[in-house]
This record gives sequence, C-alpha cells and structure tokens, in this order.
Amino acid sequence: MGFLDSVLGRNGPVVTRKGDDDLFDDDFQRKLDYLALVSKRVFAGRMRAERRTKKTGAGVEFADHREYQPGDDFRYLDWNVYQRFDRLLLRLFEEEEDLAIYLIVDASTSMGFADAAKLRYAKRVAAALAYVGLANLDRVSLSSTTDKVMGRMPQTRGKARIFKVFRFLKELKPDGQTNLEDALKSFVAQNKKRGLVVLASDLYDPHGFERGINVLRYNKFDPFVVHVVDKQEAKPKLAGDVLLYDCETGDEREVTVTAKVLERFEHAYQEYLEEIERFCSSKQVPYIQADVSVPFDDLILRVFRRGGFLR
Amino acid sequence: MILAGLPFATLLAIFGAAAAFATALYILKLRRRTVAVPFSKLWEKILRDKEATSLFSRLKRLLSLLVQLALLALLAFALGDPRAAATLIKGRNLVVLVDASASMQATDVSPTRLGAAKEEVKKVIRGLGGSDRMLVAQMDAAITPLGPMSGDTSELERALDSIKATDARADFPRALRFATDSVRGLENAEIVVVSDGRLGDAIDASGKVHVPDEVKLTYLPIGGTPQEARNVGITAFSVRRYPLDKSRYEVMLEVTNTGPEQEDIELSLLGDNNLVDLTKLRLKPGERLPRFYPNLSGASRTLEAKIAPLPGSKDSLPADDHAYALLPERRRAKVLVVSPGNTYLEAALLLDEYLDVQVASPKEYVEKIAPSGAKHDVVIFDGATPAQAPRGHAIYLDPRGPGSPVKVEGELKQPGFDRIERKHPIVRWTALDDVNVSRGHKLVAESGDKVVGASDQGPILIAGQRGGFKFVAMGFDTRDSDLPLRVAWPLLLLNSINWFTDEDSQYISSFRTGDVWRVPVVSNSGQARLKIPGGGELFVPVHEGRAVYLGERAGFYELSGADGSDTAASAVPGSAVSAVPGTGSGTGTSGAGPSATSGAFAANLLDAEESSIEPAKELVIDGKKAGTLGGFQIGVRRELWIYLLLAAILLTLIEWITYHRRITV
Repeated sequence: MGFLDSVLGRNGPVVTRKGDDDLFDDDFQRKLDYLALVSKRVFAGRMRAERRTKKTGAGVEFADHREYQPGDDFRYLDWNVYQRFDRLLLRLFEEEEDLAIYLIVDASTSMGFADAAKLRYAKRVAAALAYVGLANLDRVSLSSTTDKVMGRMPQTRGKARIFKVFRFLKELKPDGQTNLEDALKSFVAQNKKRGLVVLASDLYDPHGFERGINVLRYNKFDPFVVHVVDKQEAKPKLAGDVLLYDCETGDEREVTVTAKVLERFEHAYQEYLEEIERFCSSKQVPYIQADVSVPFDDLILRVFRRGGFLR
Repeated sequence: MILAGLPFATLLAIFGAAAAFATALYILKLRRRTVAVPFSKLWEKILRDKEATSLFSRLKRLLSLLVQLALLALLAFALGDPRAAATLIKGRNLVVLVDASASMQATDVSPTRLGAAKEEVKKVIRGLGGSDRMLVAQMDAAITPLGPMSGDTSELERALDSIKATDARADFPRALRFATDSVRGLENAEIVVVSDGRLGDAIDASGKVHVPDEVKLTYLPIGGTPQEARNVGITAFSVRRYPLDKSRYEVMLEVTNTGPEQEDIELSLLGDNNLVDLTKLRLKPGERLPRFYPNLSGASRTLEAKIAPLPGSKDSLPADDHAYALLPERRRAKVLVVSPGNTYLEAALLLDEYLDVQVASPKEYVEKIAPSGAKHDVVIFDGATPAQAPRGHAIYLDPRGPGSPVKVEGELKQPGFDRIERKHPIVRWTALDDVNVSRGHKLVAESGDKVVGASDQGPILIAGQRGGFKFVAMGFDTRDSDLPLRVAWPLLLLNSINWFTDEDSQYISSFRTGDVWRVPVVSNSGQARLKIPGGGELFVPVHEGRAVYLGERAGFYELSGADGSDTAASAVPGSAVSAVPGTGSGTGTSGAGPSATSGAFAANLLDAEESSIEPAKELVIDGKKAGTLGGFQIGVRRELWIYLLLAAILLTLIEWITYHRRITV
C-alpha cells in the first residue's frame, strides 16, 4: 500500500506516478518515513511535537527542578524530594516541540536550462525533505524564488499535507532572474519564525550567491544549501564562432569556442563549485552538492545522511 | 625572369580581383550562431583573458589574411609560368632516334638492348629542362615519330613505352634525314641517336646525309662489351623445287658466327614442323658457313631452319636464329590439248607427272568441250584457233584467224629467234638461238604484250594477257621446225604452264624484313587482310592489284581479301608475287586453284650486318663524330610554376594545421 493511500486511508493497488509529478515512489516514501531533518540549532517551537526545544514543559524526559511558585501545577511537584529535603520542588520536563522547516526552491530560468533537469531535481529534493519534515510533525513551508519570492506554501504539518506540497511544486515553472539576496530578504521579512531553511538552487546568481546565504545567516535562520548542479553544463557542446547569451539576463558575448576555451570553461566551472563549497564550509553552512546525474534515491538516502542532514 | 604564361598585367588583374574577394570575406563577418548558456558570468573570466590577448588575436587574423593573400599571389604568379631568362633561351629541341632494329633484341644487356635504351631515354626525359622539347621516334626499317615535339614527360614516356623491336635493319639515313628536317630552324637543336651503333653508313640514294653544324649530334651507345656480343645467325636461307620434279626440293642456307669466340651450334631443318635434318656445327669467330641440302622431300608447305647454341656457347640475338620459307602447294594442273594430232606435243607434256593432260580434236573441242564450259587450267591449241578464246590460260601454236589473241600477218620465210627476251620465265633455261624454222607467220603484239622471241622479220613468240587470262602465242608450227627435237621444246611448254599456274620453281623462298612488300591479291575493297606472325590481323592497302606492306617481322604471313571472300591473287593462275626490285628475294605463294581463299608467304631477317651485334662505341656521320649526352639531371625541372604551386600547397597545409590547432583563429 502506498504512502498516499496510507495517508488518505485508501486501500488498493499502488499506482506509481510518472513524469514531472513523479517526485518519488512508494518504496522511497517508506524509506523516508525513517528519516528526520537535523538542525544544528534548537529553535523554539510553537506546538508540541517530536523535537526537543529549549523550553521545559510537559514532555517525558526529566530536565530539572525548580522552586515551586504559587500557581504551579501540583501534579509536577516532586514529592520524594519534599519528603527527603522538606522542599517543594517542581519537576521540570523537556518539552518536545515542532521545527519550522522552510524549503526554498530556486525557480529561475537557469534552473530550467537543458530540459529543466535541475529544477526537476530540486523539486524532488524539496518534496522528499518536505515529506521527512511532515512525517516528523515539523512545520514545513515551501517557497519558490527568483529575484523575489514567487510562490509560497504556508507552514503546514502532518503527512497528509504532502499533497499540498506536490501541488505547489508541480506549479513551479522556471522563469525569472536569480537574485538570492533580494529574494531571501523578502523571505526573511515574511517568515518571522526562525527555523531550518533548505535552499535548493544552482546558485547562478550574478550578484553573488554569498549574499543570499548571508541574509539567512544574519537573520538567525539555519541555512542548508542543496546545490543542484548539472555536470553537463561544464562541458557545453559548442564549437566555432558563437554568440553566447545568458538565458536569464540576456547578456550577449561573442566567443570563438576552441578546445582550449572549452577546457578553460570547465576549469572555471569547477572553480565556481569549489568556491561555493569553500564559502559554505567557512561559514559552517551545511552544503550538499546534488548532481542531477546522481540517482535521486542515492542523494537522499546516502548523501544527505552522510552529510548529517538527515538521520 | 620571363613570364611564359599570362602577361604581367593580366596576372596583376587576377591577383587584384582575388585579393579583393579574399579581403572582403575577411572583413565581412558571418552571423554567429546564437547559443544560450545558463550562467554567462562563468564565461566572463575566460573572455577577459581572451580580451587581454585581443591585439594578438587581431594580429593572428591579419596573419591569416596575409597567408591567404600570399597563396593567391603564388598561384597568380604560377599562372604566369615564370622562367629564368637564361633557361628560356637555352631550351633545347631534341629529336631522339631510338633504334628498334633486330640487333636491339640482343640480350647482352638486361633485359634487352631496347629495354636498356628505353631506360636511358627515360632518364633523359626526366632530366628535361622546363623549356626543353623532345620528339621520340622509332628507328627501324622506317622512321616513326611517336608523338609531337613536347615537353610533357608523361606523354614522352608513353611514346617511349610504345616502341617495340622489329626483325628488320634500321634505315639510318632516312631516320637521320627525318631528324634533321624536324629540327630545321629550331634553336639549340639536338639529335640523339640511341642505338647499339650497328647502323651502317649514313648514305642513301641521295648521297651522304649531312647534319648541319648548328645541330648537335649526340650518341647514346647501348650494349655490353664486345666480348659479350656473341652471336650466331642464319644469314641466308633459300629453297627451291626441282623444275622437273616438283615433289623434291633443295635448300641452301648460310650460318655466320659474328661473335669474337668459337661457337658450337645445333642446326635443325624442319619441313611442315617435322625434323628433316639436324646438324651440329662449329664456327670460328667471323666464319660464314654455307650449307646445301640437295634432293630433299617430305615437306609440302613450310620449311624452317633453327639454330640453338650448344652448352658452352652463347647466342645473344635470338632474332636471327630462325628462318622461314614456304613451298608452293603442289596440285595437278588440267591441260587440254586441242590438236589434230601432235606426238611431239603430247610427249613433251608427259615429262611433268603433275599435269593432267586431255587431248581433243578441234572439232570435238568446238562441238563438245567449249559448249560444256569445262574448265581447264591451260588449253593448248595446236594449229587450231577457236573463234572464241577459252576461259583459261592458253598456248597458241601457229594461230590463225580472228580467234587468235594476236594479229597474224604475212608469212615469214625461215624465221629464227634473232631476239629473245631471256628474262621472261617461259624461256628460262632454254637455248632458242639456233632453232631452225622453215616457215612461220609474223605476230603483231598489242599494247601490254611481251615479245619474247622475234626474228629479223617480226615477232614469232609473244606472251600476254587477255581477259584476265595469260596466253603464249608461237607463230609457227613446231613440226615446221627442229624445235621438238631440242630440250628447249618441253622446257618452253612447261615454263609456260608454270608461268600460267604460277608455280615458279626458282624463287619460292621468302620476303626480307624491312622491305616494302607488294603481294598480289584480288580485292574489291582496296584493302586486304593480313595475318601477321604471332597472331594479330591488320588491313593493308591494295595498290594496282598488290597489297603493299612494310614487313618488319619474320615468320609466316597470310593474306586474303578484306571482305574475306576475295582470294589472294597468288591463287589465281598467272599471278606472281615479287618483292620490290633490288632485294633479290623471291616469292613464296600458294599455288592453290581459283577456289583458294588465301595466300601465304614467309619473311626473314637474313642480314649478316644486323646479325653482327658488336656495339659501336662511337658514331661517325659524314666525318663528324657524334658527341656524348649531357645536361640531363633527373629531378631538376626548370619550370618555376611547379615550385610556386608546391609553395602554395605548403602554405595551405600550414594554414590548415594552424587553423585546426586554433592558432590562427
């Protein structure tokens, strides 16, 4: 029985969806059930959930004692301590709360380059992570950005909301210029509740990818960069005199492409990837390079876990 | 420097137009292919580096243009065919006479002298200068130019390759006259004789051949050392049938050792491909050994003589080791004697067993034989002259009346043979001077008739031809003379019959190669088909009833009418085959009857001079010694356009490499 059926309480044969909507299949979904997003930081939740918070409350795990104050719930008085030390101490428990997870999918034109392989991959990553978040009763929110926040799916909880996630992702079309700084500033302004921000993007930001990530950092979000790359882009099939134009900005450049030029481009591409990784590493921003040529299951079940992003 | 091709102004115009076109192409930019990229910022760094070298890049493009212009300049210059002025003036005009006579078949050098000669001439061709022109001619019994005067080496080499050795001697005077005429008026003329030097003196009927002083004469000797020039050849070969016994024949041949050493040979004589005689001979240096084979029989058609060296001996020239002859085919001739009765006549005809004699009275002839249309090779009218001439050759003894082929005039008293045409075949071996005749009649010869015998009073023996048939008319009755009592009588009769049927008992040998043969043939189409030795067939022209052909190959030939239905005239009784005057050769022809379809004959080299193959180291003509060949170096062409073209190709190659290595882009 598939995940959707189980969520919806439907019985019947598993129908595997194909195409753009085929974000993941049932087997994969079952594997996702055992995963949970890891946040380095502990955020204050709004609702009780499965995630520890700084707050003490009505959890199961004992946290501490404190002096009884009038008005406290008698049920939490530690009568053993009172009997031994003649002091009224109140038992404090770690409260388990939910985590705010923001999944931001870059829907700029560059993500739709070459048959939109990168956007498709980013959507699947986002869907998988959203499902993991929803399964752990975290509050999951999705946004799509270009140079601004294009679309937004409000925070939601529970596995049953995964369809909402699918619908949102399905409607994403690659269109617009990338400006992560402006887009994430809007995002920050719209989302006061701090939490884990997963940014799935190719980071082709002419204004600098660092700025966008820094916006999240400076606003106390826990950024997580899923860098969607298509290694084929390092080896463009070009030769001779060509006029290159940027699919986002429309900038044109006359280039005579030779084997040497292609070699240098590949080198520049690798340098760019390394620069991003270096930056994230130096800023302690978790970074995962999601190559579209790597099978999606591998990425989620192996790469993400190895990177410590999922447990 | 002189432009032998297009003039300078034209070249300039061509180059200008081409250069303008090339430059326009460089200035005009082709619309670039537009390609989308996801992130142009990545390209910017590379392009920044490229921009840093944009000046160099522009220079490279300029260099590329310059290379193109240089290419065009080279090609345009090549069109002008530039040559050094000195080279142009010194361009030579050569006539190369390549000896293809029989002696060039000698194998004292590998593969043959002719093969070696071709190799030498090829070296000369490859060493020709850009302005040099050459004409290659084959020198044998005739002189055959093998192409126009040309500087095209491939054309000259093709001409050279077409040369084939012949079995004839070279007509050097004619070749030299041809060469002299060919270079007359040309600057830097040179005649190159490529030969073994066995050419004889340069003298012909017109006298000594004079080579003008301004014409350079050079000699390229071919052949090995004199010690290697060992050869034994058949230098004479003659066959004849016995006149009174034509089933038997005698052979005379001569073998000559022209080499410097004693040679042992094996001489075979074959009749109809069967061995008739085999002899081992030892010949001293320079020895001529005649051999006579009398009273031979067994062969009816072909006779061949072959010599082969025995172990320890050497024969470098195979061309003179084989001689051929054809015997006339024997058949019975049908002779009709129309006579009231003449014992002398009938007795004389009994001497030749190959005669099928039929005797008839004049009345019987007129009433039965003539109306029946029966065919006879020869009809002898003895004292009876029919009103209508027979369809065959005829002998008229004392003709009378209007049926006589010649007019018969007044009676002669005691005529004698005061004048005799002794060369005529019918009187061969006869002594008619003292024949006594009591009375006779004067015969009047018509135009074309031959008066063979005449008395002081007028002709009494005439030979001629009427309506395609030969006749002999004698103006007296033999019984009125003592002729039947003489040996001359049967000889006269048999000679006449032989003359009619063309069974010449004396000259049945062969033609000599290198002569113009005139072989009688009947052809309505003006040409005859000739099968040559070793296979192959060709058509030869027929002039005045004779096929004319310059034979250069020894062996057996077959001649027939071009349409296949004609017959060789040799088959027609009364025809004769003869070589051109002065050759001393005879004929070998078929004696077949009118139904025969072809005639055959043989040809031989038989030339002691040609068999003497010791190469001459120098050539002297009219007291002038021929110089040695020089100035031909292989691989050095003086035509600059070739080098210009090569330079253009090299530049194109460099441009191609630099383009693909992205150096000039």
